[in-house]
Amino acid sequence: MNEIEIALFLESGVRLGIPLALAALGETITERSGVINIGLEGSIIAGALGGAVGALAFGDPAVGVMAGALAGVAVAFVFAAFAIGLGTDQIITGTAITLGGLGLTGAVYQARFGATGTALTLPTLPSAPVPLLSDIPWIGGALFDQAPTAYVAYALAPALWYFLFRTAWGLELRAVGEAPIAAHAAGVRVRRVRFLATVFGGGLAGLAGAHLALAHAGTFAEGMSAGRGFIAIAVVVLGRWNPLLVLCAALFFGAASALQFFLQAFGFDAPYQLFLALPYVLTLAALAGWVGRSRAPAALALPWRSE
Amino acid sequence: MSEVLARLDGIERRFGSVVALDGADLILRAGEVHGLLGANGAGKTTLLNVIGGMLRPDAGTIEVGGSVVSFQTPREAWTCGIALAHQHFALVPAQSVLENLALGLARGWADPVRDVRAKALKLMDRIGLRVPLDSRVDHLGVGDKQRLEILKALLKNPRVLVLDEPTAVLAPNEISGLFALLRELAAEGRAVVLVAHKLDEVLMVADRLTVLRAGRTVLSTVPGDYEIPDLVRAMVGADPVDAIAIGVDVEPRSTKREPGESVAHLDRVSVTGGPGVDLEEVSLHVYRGQVVGVAGVEGNGQRSLALLLAGRVSATRGSVTLPEGLGFIPQDRSTEGLIAAFDLTDNVALALHRVAAYQDGPWLRWSELTRHAETIHERFEVQATSTSVLAGSLSGGNQQRVVVGRELSIATDLLIAENPTRGLDVAAAAFVHDEIRRLVATGVGVVLVSTDLDEVLALSDRVFAMTRGRLLEVDEGQRSREGVGALMLGGAFAHA
Ligand SMILES: Nc1ncnc2c1ncn2[C@@H]1O[C@H](COP(=O)(O)OP(=O)(O)OP(=O)(O)O)[C@@H](O)[C@H]1O
Ligand SMILES: [Mg+2]
Repeated sequence: MNEIEIALFLESGVRLGIPLALAALGETITERSGVINIGLEGSIIAGALGGAVGALAFGDPAVGVMAGALAGVAVAFVFAAFAIGLGTDQIITGTAITLGGLGLTGAVYQARFGATGTALTLPTLPSAPVPLLSDIPWIGGALFDQAPTAYVAYALAPALWYFLFRTAWGLELRAVGEAPIAAHAAGVRVRRVRFLATVFGGGLAGLAGAHLALAHAGTFAEGMSAGRGFIAIAVVVLGRWNPLLVLCAALFFGAASALQFFLQAFGFDAPYQLFLALPYVLTLAALAGWVGRSRAPAALALPWRSE
Repeated sequence: MSEVLARLDGIERRFGSVVALDGADLILRAGEVHGLLGANGAGKTTLLNVIGGMLRPDAGTIEVGGSVVSFQTPREAWTCGIALAHQHFALVPAQSVLENLALGLARGWADPVRDVRAKALKLMDRIGLRVPLDSRVDHLGVGDKQRLEILKALLKNPRVLVLDEPTAVLAPNEISGLFALLRELAAEGRAVVLVAHKLDEVLMVADRLTVLRAGRTVLSTVPGDYEIPDLVRAMVGADPVDAIAIGVDVEPRSTKREPGESVAHLDRVSVTGGPGVDLEEVSLHVYRGQVVGVAGVEGNGQRSLALLLAGRVSATRGSVTLPEGLGFIPQDRSTEGLIAAFDLTDNVALALHRVAAYQDGPWLRWSELTRHAETIHERFEVQATSTSVLAGSLSGGNQQRVVVGRELSIATDLLIAENPTRGLDVAAAAFVHDEIRRLVATGVGVVLVSTDLDEVLALSDRVFAMTRGRLLEVDEGQRSREGVGALMLGGAFAHA
């Protein structure tokens, strides 16, 4: 690869990593509160559709981004109403939300835009190079010549880290995820914290979806979330439930996906399925290599109610 | 009479079909330390959880400062000046001591631990209970967890301080330190409620006593109106049997049982990296038919010694010889002894499934295991409707009975017991002491590790003190509270 190709590779790695980073950062907060939201995929696809509809209706991708985040919040709200409000099983509820989200967005899309076969063209979110930073050799263009949603992810990682580990609210949130009884005894409203954390995670997943539609693809397609909700959950594990590491893990996964395209493009002679598997194999290796020592919040996926 | 800070009247509370409280009354006055007494399962913890806002009563009224309240959450109780140190510790294992202290105290965007560190250090200085502030809670021993639980309640600066069995794992000097503090708090016009099973302890500090039996207040009095045996009768509805359990001073064992053959042997064993200090070159023979008593302040290595003898950790250097039929009563029933979400039969099976008598090829003999669990249930008078209730729903003392009953039944060669009577009521503690003596008479070797010096002195043939990772045998002449106490703190009177 020459210089330009490497720059291209890095740029597409970051571009593929950003939606994962957004969704995974939100899920990090959700999981730290003891809730695993398998319905993340549902929030992402709803965010993509919401983004498309909002951007078309107002002709402004910024409105689309907001609509996408709201759609993600709405889906997570449904999940939270069942899993936290009623204490239903989180895995089953989340799976239902994902399947329902994929189906419903497909149906709405068909009804609204018809099955004409021609792809929808959306007003896209242009990339906004950051002065100076985007001129840094090699990584400048890759990291700092992206859509504004990327910068949201960069800013959120340290902000969420600070929130989790340096504020009283963060301490309460972590306590709720580790030992809800102890948190309750200390006066923390366990279910309220979980509700807020889940809805926040849904909002970021919706943002990730809007980014996919408006910055990535410039269109909406049924099922375009393509399993990113599940990958984001794996990225949270890879990042050890720490926002800073989660951002790195998302970019790592993005780079691994980009590598796959590049290896194919450069005509390495191997069945394409092997290339498709590459990001997952690399992620597994990373998981085995260094995440072994970390562990999930102790009360993850366990419903809770006071007596 | 002084001002009433809290009044509970006719409190009722049931859990499914179990009636935990059935008309309990309690009046807490400013300036008084109030002792709450009752047998295991009498409803003490349930009543205290009602005061602390952890549980809502089914019936009855709670008045705080003259007005009727109905707490929906613990925070509401705290707002009314009530703080609770839980018997079943309400701690976050994966967080530091400091973070546990800060939880709920600091709010919003503030740095949660900054102010708390200074406050905690000041408080620890004042009362002499020390906990390493930066350790993770799941790395602490049960004594440190208990100290933390007490500190957490004190940091809230409550008008009504509620302590549910705070003394069961504290060293004697810590207990007197705590009691001095309780007297000071009362003198400042606060109210204190204290649960403890050792009556001499309670009588040392209490201005008033309330006795619960089967969820009902059966006696409310001031110390002096009743003798200890009367109180015991009120608690258990039977006559007291064992002087140690009642807490009256007992003579150290004078007649030595003849030792049998060696059943466990440590030969210059070192353990590094365990809880507390490292063990250094510890040698010990445990003989059949004898009790080896080990006293020591937590953190001096007795935890490592117990785990080593129980086969739960391995030696870094030196050799360890252990027998087959080994029973282990661990210091913390809730984290090491039982699985709260398993029923009693499953918890018994957990320890017995490797014993040949309960195996049938690849299968387990569940009918035998169930029968065994039922035997423990009956013999140890575990208060549970059947052996298929979850261990987590039992009262603390009843959980302890299950662990003790199970481990005594598998200790055919050696029993390692850490604070075996922790949380047991008068009658149950007496029964367990008798069971240990009976076990020893059948030729089992016993190692008793306890913070309760009276228990160590009364049951042991040989007494050791653990200081800074070394095991020192106490000379016969020094077998008294004072002698052993001095040795634990690193004094003379012993040979290695
Ligand atoms: N969460 C629960 N679910 C079911 N039963 C319970 C629960 N909590 C307490 N109980 C039952 O209520 C009764 C009273 O329990 P409680 O813990 O108040 O007793 P206690 O007086 O504190 O006993 P101990 O001295 O052993 O601590 C017991 O029979 C216990 O099994
Ligand atoms: Mg209790």
